[in-house]
Amino acid sequence: MRKFFQSLLARYMFLILIAISIVQIAYIGIALLMSGVANNDGELYQGSNDENENAIEEKWHKEANIMQGLSSEEIEQHFKKWKHHYPQASMFWVNENGMLTKQIDVKEQLPLEWSPAFTAKFIKERYGGDPFTVIAFVGKDEMNGFIVLEIPRSEFYPPLSKIYDKYGGILFFGVIFIILLFIAVSFLFFRGIRKRLLQLQDAMEIRDVDGLPIQINVKKKDEIGQLEKTFNQMVFELKESKQREQKEEQLRRELIANLSHDLRTPLTKIRAQTYSIAKEDLSVDGKKAIKALEVSVVNIDRLIENLMSYTLLMASKYKFESKEIDVIRYVRECLASWYPVFEKEGFEFEVELLPFEKNKWMVDPIWLGCIMDNLLQNVLRHAKSGVYICVRTESSDLYDAIVISDRGKGMKNDSNEAGAGIGLTIVDMMVRGMKLDWDMASSEDGTTIKIKKYK
Amino acid sequence: MVHVLYIEDESEIGNWVAKDLTERGYEVTWLQSGEGIEKYVLTVDIVILDVMLPGLDGFSIGKRIKKENGALPILMLSARTAVEDKIEGLNFADDYLTKPFHPDELAARVEVLLRRYQKNEDILELQHLTIYTKDMRMVERETGVEIQLTGKQYHLFQYFVRHLNQILTKEQLYEGVWGERYFEGDKTLMVHIRYLREKIEKYPAKPSIIETIRGIGYRLKI
Repeated sequence: MRKFFQSLLARYMFLILIAISIVQIAYIGIALLMSGVANNDGELYQGSNDENENAIEEKWHKEANIMQGLSSEEIEQHFKKWKHHYPQASMFWVNENGMLTKQIDVKEQLPLEWSPAFTAKFIKERYGGDPFTVIAFVGKDEMNGFIVLEIPRSEFYPPLSKIYDKYGGILFFGVIFIILLFIAVSFLFFRGIRKRLLQLQDAMEIRDVDGLPIQINVKKKDEIGQLEKTFNQMVFELKESKQREQKEEQLRRELIANLSHDLRTPLTKIRAQTYSIAKEDLSVDGKKAIKALEVSVVNIDRLIENLMSYTLLMASKYKFESKEIDVIRYVRECLASWYPVFEKEGFEFEVELLPFEKNKWMVDPIWLGCIMDNLLQNVLRHAKSGVYICVRTESSDLYDAIVISDRGKGMKNDSNEAGAGIGLTIVDMMVRGMKLDWDMASSEDGTTIKIKKYK
Repeated sequence: MVHVLYIEDESEIGNWVAKDLTERGYEVTWLQSGEGIEKYVLTVDIVILDVMLPGLDGFSIGKRIKKENGALPILMLSARTAVEDKIEGLNFADDYLTKPFHPDELAARVEVLLRRYQKNEDILELQHLTIYTKDMRMVERETGVEIQLTGKQYHLFQYFVRHLNQILTKEQLYEGVWGERYFEGDKTLMVHIRYLREKIEKYPAKPSIIETIRGIGYRLKI
């Protein structure tokens, strides 16, 4: 239950309840306000309009009856009493001589002398008109003159209409204020949620030094808080997993390093021995045997290297860091280091590296170096008879390519995949790993290999 | 005599390398671990260092040596061939050679490092020239006339001497000597090499000291 009250759902339901309650509260509030105002607004507001008009008419006639024989001052006293009761009312008295004798708060211009014709016209105009007018003969006798009461018709309107007229502005702005208040509260509520969700999104996007997202502070226990907590748990598990992976990677590296050491150390010893023996005075056959031993040492060394590279590539553990490099420059530097080896073997070394339209290739330089080493080593091992190597660039509408060709006896199988040896398998995996392509054409006149980058 | 400090735990390999280097005219001190290297760090000319050693490994020893004597060249000689190992080694060492190796290659790499650090004998006989590498003077042996080079020619020749027998691409040469990025088609380097050849070659039209390796670069070869 406590959890429910801490939840966003509960808070949102509370907000909706308040929103609905505001309508009810406003309704009750207005009803109370009206009844209060109506109570304070005197008799006029009690009963219906007709009842009020009749009552006032009756009272005014009674008042006229008792006015017979009263002095002008006394009549004025009566008028003031009525004025006190009906502040909006106006009154006047025309005496028995048809003279306007007394008037209170009359806004229109009245004649001082009232002829029968004017009186008739006045009565005709005021009948059923606005203001509400009551004409009563003083002392029930038309010879004593008459008194007139005028009250604006608006005074007889229903209380709601009157209150609306009086307090309409306040009511309007009050309603607008309540709506704005609800919008503001809703806005703040959803802004708070949005802010926290965005913070969570940021935390998911920001990476720590180890490449994993960073943990976040959980401040509330609502649904987003639960999500943050789960996210932190996930980050923690990822970190654990990463550490485990790093540990395994370290173990793997150590294993490979030790294996490499254990295999290469005896090879080095063999080389040391053959080197020492080669210095002795040997027969022709002895020298041949030593030379064969040295070649075998080099081949085994290369095989070990290739096997390790192949194992790493197959397990997707070979370090790959792609970056933009000037491929022409890189290949030229690679050839500079290989040139002396081919020179020693008596090769004709032809280089024609012309700039491509775009010299920058997105590759891992170590992988590209490994590919070049493998291909050049292959030429050295398998195409020695041709004593020729050419490295050049080639461009077409579709691709740019580095082309390596020799004049050896060719490979029996020109497939990239099968029977091409572990070295070429590594070349294939690395070329495809860098989103490049390659093809090989081999005949008895030589082999040509193209490393292509499609445009 | 150039003094080589060689650290290798395998006695068979250690014996062989020490003997070969001694025969090549170096004074060799061979240790089987990093223990006791302190007394040699400031006196030897070059260190050849194995990686997998008893006690401290070669990487730790190499870093310690460089910290104490930054001007001492270090050549790592290891059976560890992984890229990560090479990168770690080359973070502080000057060269990294993997086993099994040919002693000629080891000797050549030692020579390159000694030249780069100017630790070897300062006289170089190059065809008809005698070059004093420490102060980069050049004398025509037959006449005894000293060849005068301009500033850029001097720096260019010095760069070649430091990378003796290595093929240097146009980019490497230009950026090494001028310290600026090379742009394809820039003729500055070619012009300077032509002037340099005119001064040092016996037959500048058929240069034999500074070789042109077509499509790749240039080489100063003994």
